[in-house]
Amino acid sequence: MLVITRKPEQSIIIGGEVEVIVLGITKDGVRLGIKAPRSVQVHRREVFEAIAAENRAAAEAKLPLQSVAAMLRAAQAKKQDDR
Amino acid sequence: MTQNQDPIIDSDGSVLLTFPKGLLGFPELRGFRLLEPHDGYPLKFLQSVERDEVSFICIDPASVKPDYSVPLGEEESEALHLESPDEALVLTLVVIPDDAKSMTTNLAGPLVINVRSKIGFQIVLSAEKYPLRFPIIPQD
Repeated sequence: MLVITRKPEQSIIIGGEVEVIVLGITKDGVRLGIKAPRSVQVHRREVFEAIAAENRAAAEAKLPLQSVAAMLRAAQAKKQDDR
Repeated sequence: MTQNQDPIIDSDGSVLLTFPKGLLGFPELRGFRLLEPHDGYPLKFLQSVERDEVSFICIDPASVKPDYSVPLGEEESEALHLESPDEALVLTLVVIPDDAKSMTTNLAGPLVINVRSKIGFQIVLSAEKYPLRFPIIPQD
């Protein structure tokens, strides 16, 4: 891992296209500005990890789609009947 | 015999979609076939083209949460080249745990697809405002 120390207003350039700027440092943390091409997605790590984990869980589905659909339709029909 | 007017619907009835950035955690998977088995309603099926063993059950989130809408930023709309909101198809992935009745869908990470260009992206929304695990089977 490359470790660089920056003061506020200083920045780093990644891959020639992504710039990360230290905008300021407060008691709540370091405020970062990111300039990147539209094609590069930038996310807080914990948000990225949470979505990626849900994606992986979704890929693990072991039941056939038709039986899951039947369960869902039955539950929705029951909910309608209960009204 | 019906005339197939859409050149990207294959003979098996599937639509070939391209995700230029893949999905989060699966950035290398760019091609997906979208299938809607008629006995699978209201679910749809996304099958990875690059990896046979990767597939997802998905759902139109509006069918389980009618007030759900995806706020698209300017950059996201531009990347999708949406000329109107009607061109957007929104799908969310379904997670089926061992106790299948607790199945959920990820409203914080919707797939937004331009139905005209067949290009899609997974959009990341705030997990504070949008549930990562929204139960789709009404719980008693």
